[in-house]
Amino acid sequence: MAKFISLLFIPQEKNNHRALLLHPSFLGIFIALYLLNQSLIQSLTILKPGILGYSSEITVDKVISQTNDQRQKLGLAPLKYNAVLSQSAVAKAQDMFANNYWAHNSPQGKTPWDFFKSVGYQYSVAGENLAKDFYDTEGLIKAWMNSPTHRDNILNPKYQEIGIGVVNGILNGVKTTLVVQHFALPLNAPAIAKKSDSVSTSEEIVINPEPEIIVSTQSLGETVVNLAASGKAISPLLISKIIGTIIFSLIVVVLVIDSYITLKDQTPRFTGSSASHIGFLLIILMLLIFGRQGTIF
Amino acid sequence: MIILKEIQKNPLDYVILAIILIFAFIAFLFFNQNFDSHNQRRVVYVTAALYLLWSLLHHYHRGDLQASIIIEYLLLAIFAVIIALTTLV
Repeated sequence: MAKFISLLFIPQEKNNHRALLLHPSFLGIFIALYLLNQSLIQSLTILKPGILGYSSEITVDKVISQTNDQRQKLGLAPLKYNAVLSQSAVAKAQDMFANNYWAHNSPQGKTPWDFFKSVGYQYSVAGENLAKDFYDTEGLIKAWMNSPTHRDNILNPKYQEIGIGVVNGILNGVKTTLVVQHFALPLNAPAIAKKSDSVSTSEEIVINPEPEIIVSTQSLGETVVNLAASGKAISPLLISKIIGTIIFSLIVVVLVIDSYITLKDQTPRFTGSSASHIGFLLIILMLLIFGRQGTIF
Repeated sequence: MIILKEIQKNPLDYVILAIILIFAFIAFLFFNQNFDSHNQRRVVYVTAALYLLWSLLHHYHRGDLQASIIIEYLLLAIFAVIIALTTLV
């Protein structure tokens, strides 16, 4: 056993002066194991959806409360939840899944305002933010606040009401959570109590040029559907990241040991450059550890 | 120190590799700050492709361009792409 472990990690004559873990066959085994883990995760999310939260931890309540937190930091009035506005947000997300697009305007020419009108919501000012693939609300709100156009929507003093759609579905063949945020000032609404005194009462449309909506819709009219709503679901992405990090870290450690011994002993051999492998793998490790999921539009 | 000795044998090749990896690092940080997971993923695709290309040139210069060596680089590049595909949704 000890001999085999030594062959795995230490370059010597019996393993052709290359740690076994660095042989192409073992690299292939690592890839196979990783893919096997991925297929297990996929199967588990389908068979036992409560265990692994593939959708996200995003809920309508959290999005509204964190949006209002941002507004209150600037002394702006909080937005009121409007169920009709949420219906339009959910309808927008469902439309993106149904017609397989990711944009403010649909390929059929539908604008965000068509969704407001289709549910009978009358507005004088309206806006839309879109997001997808975020796992938690904190990351989603942070991403929107980092983008000037999305931030302008969140902090627009003219808006009084908000509707949120969080819908799970398959977009471009990939399982995705879409979030749609619809803002509005209802038609004939009273003056807004806010910090800014430049309120326009004229009909005006505020469109976020690049919104990205995450809509989770299992039933029309229900704003947020969270597959992992019951209990604390484990993120499958986190599992993948941990396994990937362990495998890549192991390869880097073995590469360092392997190159140290062979260069010290001046062993001639035909293999890839350990220094370049280490550099490349460190970049991928950085991605694994610091990579951020989610996109706003 | 011992790895540095290996680098000193083909400094130009490693300078090119360093440029590729630094480019990847900067591009990754840029898209990471902007919460753009799609472009973070593309950074990995491009880096993996350039890494493979670099390996061909490097081992051609060294005179040991062999199938087994290229397979080694190919497997690492494929693994990196799989990781990007599965963790940067």
